[in-house]
Amino acid sequence: MDSGYDDSLPGECLRKPDWKQLKLYGVGDPVAMFSSDSSCLSSRGRVSKWFWDSAEEGYRTYHMDEYDEDKNPSGIINLGTSENKLCFDLLSRRLTQNDMLHVEPSLLQYPDWRGHLFLREEVAKFLSFYCKSPAPLKPENVVVLNGCASLFSALATVLCEAGEALLIPTPYYGAITQHVYLYGNVRLAYVYLESEGVKVKGLILINPQNPLGDIYSPEELQEFLGFAMRHQLHVIMDEVYMLSVFEESLGYRSVLSLERLPDPQRTHVMWATSKDFGMSGLRFGILYTENQHVATAVASLCRYHGLSGLVQHQMAQLLRDHDWISQVYLPENHARLKAAHTYVSEELRALGIPFVSRGAGFFIWVDLRKFLPRGTFEEEGLLWRQFLDNKVLLSCGKTFECKEPGWFRVVFSDKENRLRLGMQRVRQVLERQPQVVEEASPCHTQEPSTQPI
Amino acid sequence: MELKEEGCPIGSSLSDSGTIVAVTEDECRLEGQGAEKSSTKKVFQTLQRKVLELQRVLMDHFFRMTSQRVQSLSPEDQQRPQGSWKWIKRMGSLMSRMANLIWAEATKELKFKEPLPRSDPRCDIKAGQQALSSWQPDQPGPRLGGFEAAFVSHVLSRRGTGICDLYRANFQSYEAYQRDKYHKEKNPTGYINLGTSENKLCLDLIKERLSQRDMNQIEEDLLQYSDWQGQPFLRKELASFLTCYCRAPTPLDPEKVVVLNGCSSVFSSLAMVLCDPGDAFLIPTPCYSGFAFSSCLYSKVELIPVYLESQADSSFSQLTMDILELTLTQAKMKEKKVKGLVLVNPQNPLGEVYTRSMMKEYLAFAKNLPDPNKTHMIWGTSKDFGISGFRFGVLYTHNKEVASAMRAFGYLHGVSGITQFKLCQLLQDREWIDQLYLPTNHSRLRKAYLYVAKRLEKLKVPFFNGGSGLYVWIDLRAYLSPCTFDQEQILCQCFQDNKLLLSRGRAYMCKEPGWFRLIFAGDQLQVKVALDRFCQVLKEHKKDPRLKQLEPAIAT
Repeated sequence: MDSGYDDSLPGECLRKPDWKQLKLYGVGDPVAMFSSDSSCLSSRGRVSKWFWDSAEEGYRTYHMDEYDEDKNPSGIINLGTSENKLCFDLLSRRLTQNDMLHVEPSLLQYPDWRGHLFLREEVAKFLSFYCKSPAPLKPENVVVLNGCASLFSALATVLCEAGEALLIPTPYYGAITQHVYLYGNVRLAYVYLESEGVKVKGLILINPQNPLGDIYSPEELQEFLGFAMRHQLHVIMDEVYMLSVFEESLGYRSVLSLERLPDPQRTHVMWATSKDFGMSGLRFGILYTENQHVATAVASLCRYHGLSGLVQHQMAQLLRDHDWISQVYLPENHARLKAAHTYVSEELRALGIPFVSRGAGFFIWVDLRKFLPRGTFEEEGLLWRQFLDNKVLLSCGKTFECKEPGWFRVVFSDKENRLRLGMQRVRQVLERQPQVVEEASPCHTQEPSTQPI
Repeated sequence: MELKEEGCPIGSSLSDSGTIVAVTEDECRLEGQGAEKSSTKKVFQTLQRKVLELQRVLMDHFFRMTSQRVQSLSPEDQQRPQGSWKWIKRMGSLMSRMANLIWAEATKELKFKEPLPRSDPRCDIKAGQQALSSWQPDQPGPRLGGFEAAFVSHVLSRRGTGICDLYRANFQSYEAYQRDKYHKEKNPTGYINLGTSENKLCLDLIKERLSQRDMNQIEEDLLQYSDWQGQPFLRKELASFLTCYCRAPTPLDPEKVVVLNGCSSVFSSLAMVLCDPGDAFLIPTPCYSGFAFSSCLYSKVELIPVYLESQADSSFSQLTMDILELTLTQAKMKEKKVKGLVLVNPQNPLGEVYTRSMMKEYLAFAKNLPDPNKTHMIWGTSKDFGISGFRFGVLYTHNKEVASAMRAFGYLHGVSGITQFKLCQLLQDREWIDQLYLPTNHSRLRKAYLYVAKRLEKLKVPFFNGGSGLYVWIDLRAYLSPCTFDQEQILCQCFQDNKLLLSRGRAYMCKEPGWFRLIFAGDQLQVKVALDRFCQVLKEHKKDPRLKQLEPAIAT
């Protein structure tokens, strides 16, 4: 399929799911990996601890030494975590307006676990409008949880048995592995359906894509949905970047805007304010599905994924304010994203580095393969660490289950001064790289396996 | 007892199945009290058998209809429950209740102990529950279930169906309440919920405090990803707060504090981290019903009840080492892997407080378990500050490994940065807490308790409260005849039919039927109206229990 990328940038197109490759990703047999000398944790407790210890290393290192213009100018610049830090001024102004400060007894008490009705009504109206659905969406099809991670966990648990799998195209953002595994004990597979006795129950599609920053066209969506229907798979559509398409010409269409879905009972859409409204710390996500059994099953777990009534009220106020969203926030946000994206692209071009990015999301998928003489993941890890040691955090391709070593994701949705400093530090590292590999230093490498987001 | 019944009117709608289950008058009419026990017994058995046969026929019919529909209908139409399905579902429920009643009557009236015969296995246990570890204690009389489960499992996984069923079965009344809440003017016939433990007495104070200026700061890092263990500023405040109010001998360490969105989440994650599927915790009962969910829904950990006995003054026996040892031994004999002991202090639902020496004893006992010296403390603001809607809970553990393992669950149980900020402001305000909130709260609680106590005394209903908590534990054994869990369920349903929610002892793994928990910390007016309804139900219940039992089943 034609990638439609700029011809001057040879980039690997990884858009289609890798149907032919037989590779099952999961945590393998985690129990076998750990000795039982940590006496108090259960085997699955040891796995959770391992997730934290090994997978979050970059993130933790960053938190212990965060860059600050005044207090810590030599701290680490984070171009690895996908967050939109460009519009805090607009958000803080909106969130401190009077309608946001409302406190009411019903908001302080045990709620309808599915989410307060007033919020679900607003979400239905919001999605109907911004996803351009052909018919108005219904509040009873909305379930509210504290973030998309929780949605992955709940959906994996109610749609799959322990040990079953969900299909996902690669590269994808690696944290999903943890989300479906921790409670759900569900694995991810990029494999053709009949394989090694693992039952595949569903397909996860992320649109706009992370880390590629591209979108699926409506035709491609229909193709995938049709495929899923033929095999009676659930489709979990993660549209968390749906309003972060800053290149209008892309013509992004939400799955909710399609006139007819092949299998509406098995199509479940998730969205959150984390990316589109730059509030990853707020913990608010929603599920939209016409399948009441799935909605009820997920709602049954909502006790464990509840969010404060006050926050629910604020979210309703935010989503209701179409004027502010369409006339203040979105235009400004897109303009700033575009500017930041332009800046980083220019820097990369100046360095002669190929990249993939189409105008959605907060990141650029950068091709650093030429800096890995042997083209191994070990070298990729070493390069990642060099960046970190030079105080700039990026995400390396391995954490996205990229087939080939050498790809890195660079997040550009941050303030200009930080981007400048970050890119400078990236340049420093790349300029140090020799064309021919010298003797590999016998130092201990720790490969980062998953990054948060 | 005389029972006259006509042949069941089901012939026409099942004509396609070709089977008609008829119950003739002869089979139904029972002789008077002087009848031979054996022939009466035979009649009961026949009646029961006929009802179960009818149920089986209905199930066959339903399944035939279902599989036809699944194949022929478009996906959208599969979802909509057709009118006839609803009817069949009602009939199925009615059959179940009739069979249960017949059995209960047989056991009580004729005093023979027949086991409840096998009903149609398709509705004996709901499809999904097989996927769940058993969390209910062995009780006579399985619940004959509904019909939807079989269809639902086409779409969800078995465990998904199980989760759904479990939730529906236990939260049906809560959801009914959410849709139809009492309001003095707008909805005077709505539900009053004295079943959910919430403190509504100080919402005015809390609302006022939360509306003050200092609560409404928005800072960048509050809106961004942060430490999944909880924001450092909040953990620091919690360590200081708990050191003060728990009177810790040495200052507590913020690194050992984990913040999640509620104590249920803390318990669920802790169960994951300390136990593998199928492992177990010991828990003294009666105990808060929510533990069973939180240990089971996600985590598949079993709760083994340590039964305490009820006593003459409506209190319960003390938790002693002997009882603990005995339960542990019994558990080991059944090859259960017991990983810990759950203690709730102050106790729910008894409201008792463990003394220092008792606590020391229990902790010493715990050392004998496979994992020695691991103590983890859970606290939250839902009850103590009456903000159950905030979704905030804390784990304090001396064990850094456990804290570390819990962090991974911080992803799935995250608390909004803004909420964390407000909580920090609230907990920091010691002056407000010590001089306004706590004294006012305690005095209002005492007053509310006295009001309820007085009314219960007037009704001559025995009750117990150990001096803390938001509830009283009521003894309604005298109102159940026979005193079985089925009768308890029926009484609970009677309360619900009168728009009053109470929680029943069975949900607390109480060994004996007849106990109920009633929350006194509700809105004053609502508690008064609720108690009026409570009186009403008890009055009617004593009058004509048998007639009352059948009524809701027919009316549904």
